[in-house]
Amino acid sequence: MSDDVLITLEELTVVCSVSREWVRERLEEGLLTAATEGRFTLRAVRRVRRMRELERDFDAAPELAALVADLLEELEALRARLGREA
Amino acid sequence: MEYKDYYGTLGVQREASADEIRKAFRRLARKYHPDVSKEPDAEARMKEVNEAYAVLSDAEKRAAYDQLGQGYRPGEEFRPPPDWDAGFEFSHRDFQGGDFSDFFAELFGRMGAQAHGRDHYAKVLLDVEDAFTGPTRQVALRVPKADAHGRVALETRTLNVRIPVGVREGQLIRLAGQGAAAGGKPGDLLLEVHFRPHGRFRVDGRDLHVDLPVAPWEAALGAVVPVALPAGELKVRIPAGAQGGRVLRVRGKGIPADPPGDLLLAIRVVLPSAEDEKARALYEQMARDLAFDPRAGS
Repeated sequence: MSDDVLITLEELTVVCSVSREWVRERLEEGLLTAATEGRFTLRAVRRVRRMRELERDFDAAPELAALVADLLEELEALRARLGREA
Repeated sequence: MEYKDYYGTLGVQREASADEIRKAFRRLARKYHPDVSKEPDAEARMKEVNEAYAVLSDAEKRAAYDQLGQGYRPGEEFRPPPDWDAGFEFSHRDFQGGDFSDFFAELFGRMGAQAHGRDHYAKVLLDVEDAFTGPTRQVALRVPKADAHGRVALETRTLNVRIPVGVREGQLIRLAGQGAAAGGKPGDLLLEVHFRPHGRFRVDGRDLHVDLPVAPWEAALGAVVPVALPAGELKVRIPAGAQGGRVLRVRGKGIPADPPGDLLLAIRVVLPSAEDEKARALYEQMARDLAFDPRAGS
């Protein structure tokens, strides 16, 4: 996933089926970060979908969903490193 | 259209309580969660589980499904009676067009009416080669469309889309004015790009990964070998003494973005079969004459 392609808040809400409010709350709580003001990386798309699904499927609190997303991102980074070194 | 047994998908009885259904869903959501599941068909199973839960967790949809599904077995050809849903008033509008099966769309299609005048969004599958050539592609989208009775069916809409060179996995292509019409100005259509799995190529961001099979002597002595790439053939120098598993990086020969990605060639040494008489004789000679222990030091 590239970090240099940025999308707008509005695009993020459309492709992830979440509301602006949903995103704003999680930005304020630090569960989600914008690349620059109102702009997001494609990595954020993945994170938002993940958090939304975890919250919905397991009735997870946003903080817990964000924590699981953190762990999954870490797992992916480690797996990618393993793949490169193999 | 096949009848879908949503109770079977979730592994619950028809009489299951809302709580039992929720528990069964969570157990399966964990089992088939695409990020952690080791099941080969996790994604497809998760989709079925989501669809089953979308119906059975909603009292109105569940009641309609129960009434309609009496006497059907899973996989059986299914025809809903005309206007079967008269008398059901669905209050929720949470249907995400295209995500669920035809069976779901047929049954609950009338809830598919999306907010009008909004940006629409669809995933589009491209070939890795498309990122190099930037072709114009026909993209078929299934769009929920309402008829005169307010009932929604999936309609196929074909668009010609110019794919930009250097397009990346996850990137959005915005087609102005191709979203839903709102009486006034229509919204945009956002296409999210994904690549079909390819037998030889794998894309990681801007980098292109390719397996490179080489003969033992090419690896040992070094060679210049041709590699077929989406943009055409490229001659690559294998350094002498290259071992299997080594990854050669060719700068700037990945996805042609700005700056372009790299090409990563994973060397795979392929041995000639010893069934060939001449090859066998050479192997036997090497075995005799070379003091070589591949496990030395391991």
